[in-house]
Amino acid sequence: MRDTASLSPARRSAQQSGGAILAVEDLTVAFGGLKALDGVSLSIAAGEITGLIGPNGSGKSTLVNTVSGQLPVRGGRISLRGGDVTGRRPDRIVRAGMARTYQIPRVPPTLTVEEVLSVPLLYAGRDRHRLPGLGDAAAIAAFCGLGPLFRRYCGDLSVTDLRRLEIARALACAPDLLLLDEAMAGLSHEDSVEVMGLIRNVHEQGISIVIIEHLMRVITTLCHRVVVLNNGRLLAEGTPATVLADQAVREAYLGKGFAS
Amino acid sequence: MKTGLTRLLPYVLILLVTLALVWIDKPFWIQLAIGVAITAITALAWDILSRTGQVSLGSAAFFGIGSYTLAIFEPLIGLTLAWVAVVVVCALAATLLGLLTLRLRRMYFAIATLGFALSMQVLVVVFPDWTGGSGGIAPPVLADGDPRWQLGLIGLLLLAAVALSDTLLGLRFRPAFFMIRTKPELAAASGVPVVHMKIFAFIVSGVLIGLAGACYGGLYGYVVPTDVFTTNWSVLPLAIATLGGMDTTIGPLLGAIVLKALEEVARSVIGGTGYQVVYGAVIILFVIGMPQGIVGLLRKAGKLAGRRTATGEKKKERERHA
Repeated sequence: MRDTASLSPARRSAQQSGGAILAVEDLTVAFGGLKALDGVSLSIAAGEITGLIGPNGSGKSTLVNTVSGQLPVRGGRISLRGGDVTGRRPDRIVRAGMARTYQIPRVPPTLTVEEVLSVPLLYAGRDRHRLPGLGDAAAIAAFCGLGPLFRRYCGDLSVTDLRRLEIARALACAPDLLLLDEAMAGLSHEDSVEVMGLIRNVHEQGISIVIIEHLMRVITTLCHRVVVLNNGRLLAEGTPATVLADQAVREAYLGKGFAS
Repeated sequence: MKTGLTRLLPYVLILLVTLALVWIDKPFWIQLAIGVAITAITALAWDILSRTGQVSLGSAAFFGIGSYTLAIFEPLIGLTLAWVAVVVVCALAATLLGLLTLRLRRMYFAIATLGFALSMQVLVVVFPDWTGGSGGIAPPVLADGDPRWQLGLIGLLLLAAVALSDTLLGLRFRPAFFMIRTKPELAAASGVPVVHMKIFAFIVSGVLIGLAGACYGGLYGYVVPTDVFTTNWSVLPLAIATLGGMDTTIGPLLGAIVLKALEEVARSVIGGTGYQVVYGAVIILFVIGMPQGIVGLLRKAGKLAGRRTATGEKKKERERHA
């Protein structure tokens, strides 16, 4: 039996809550008559990096927007570390320990990096001692490679730096679980490698991560587990190798003719 | 970054000008200063609200509610409590209007607040038993009608408005307000209770404008609906804040001074009612010429001057090395 004290915080909480940090049961979300999510049930293991994949319109973004409290739930239940967060306000969900990033980070151009990071530090109301070394804006900026840009205006940042800032902002919420919405989209190969390194470093802080991603290279190198959505339903889940070898997944992605 | 000295400048400016005018005791200048101070308070209040992305055209509603609340409540509960009532009623009206317009963006929000201001005027005329109808109402005269004390009191209210504006431009509020304006979802995802913050800004803004309106009504102890509920009081704060420089404290102050000065000059040079046309045209030219307002222009000038001294120093250094 291993000593619990030597485990990272996330792994410790994983043991306490029986392994799942986020559990979704029979979740249904609809826009008018169109069901964007149709009875999806899945659980995200604590301490892991989980990939969330699926073709365009499969419900990935809807799932992230719903569990983070930005879309109303038509049916089902969302629980974070065992506590029910279904239908809660987004800022409450952040305070409960789940942070998310946005694909297109629209930060006010007249704010500095420091000022943007000050918002979650002031308002997310999370215990900062949980993440030693990430207690203040300067430390978080340095951790995300934004140290030299600390006092720069967001309007002057490059796309890559804005992506880093978006991860830094979410990190400043001191989350237990971080949802990354296409953090790599539109980046060059070198930049995406760097951001992947950053995600790995975040994971080493004991933070569980869910990545929405189109690049299979990212999924196969970073993720412990993969969840596949198609047409608003759960299609498959498992290790990257088994999921990507799955016939149904290949058909969903490539079309029936190509898969065989 | 702002130094402590420039931060103190507005406070020192207001204190010195107010004290000097009270000392000199020239009626024209005191009336002018009272006019500048009241419009400056409404402009600061409008700017505070706009920092959360809520561009209001309803300032006149709060201006009128302020003066009417003081007039209606003073005979019922006494002067001190009537002032408390001004704060409470304006806060309630702001909360109500804020909740009703919560989901409206930009133009739709502006139209809804304008509608609120216009309907308030109708409401006053429809219930003459309470409000005196179109004949007007008599609020208690401010400071027993002594213009110097009136200026002193309104100067204090302006100081309070400046202090509030500065507090809301501090690290606790400015980044959160701007994030709510640019992308409310991002603010919520950072733990900011967006609805509470928007209503909070609305209450601060509405109460400030209401207090300014109550002071205005108390200048002569008599107001009619067309005095306070006019579109003028809705547009003026917006024009002043835009002219002076939004998202700043000094901007609305400078804007109020410049606009009042322009108005007085146009009135004395052109006279009649024609001066209003010229005055309007000059405002338009100003806004076109200075999209960032007077503050933006000063910043640009400051940067140019800074660059000049910087290159000058480099030159000197080069000469020293040579």
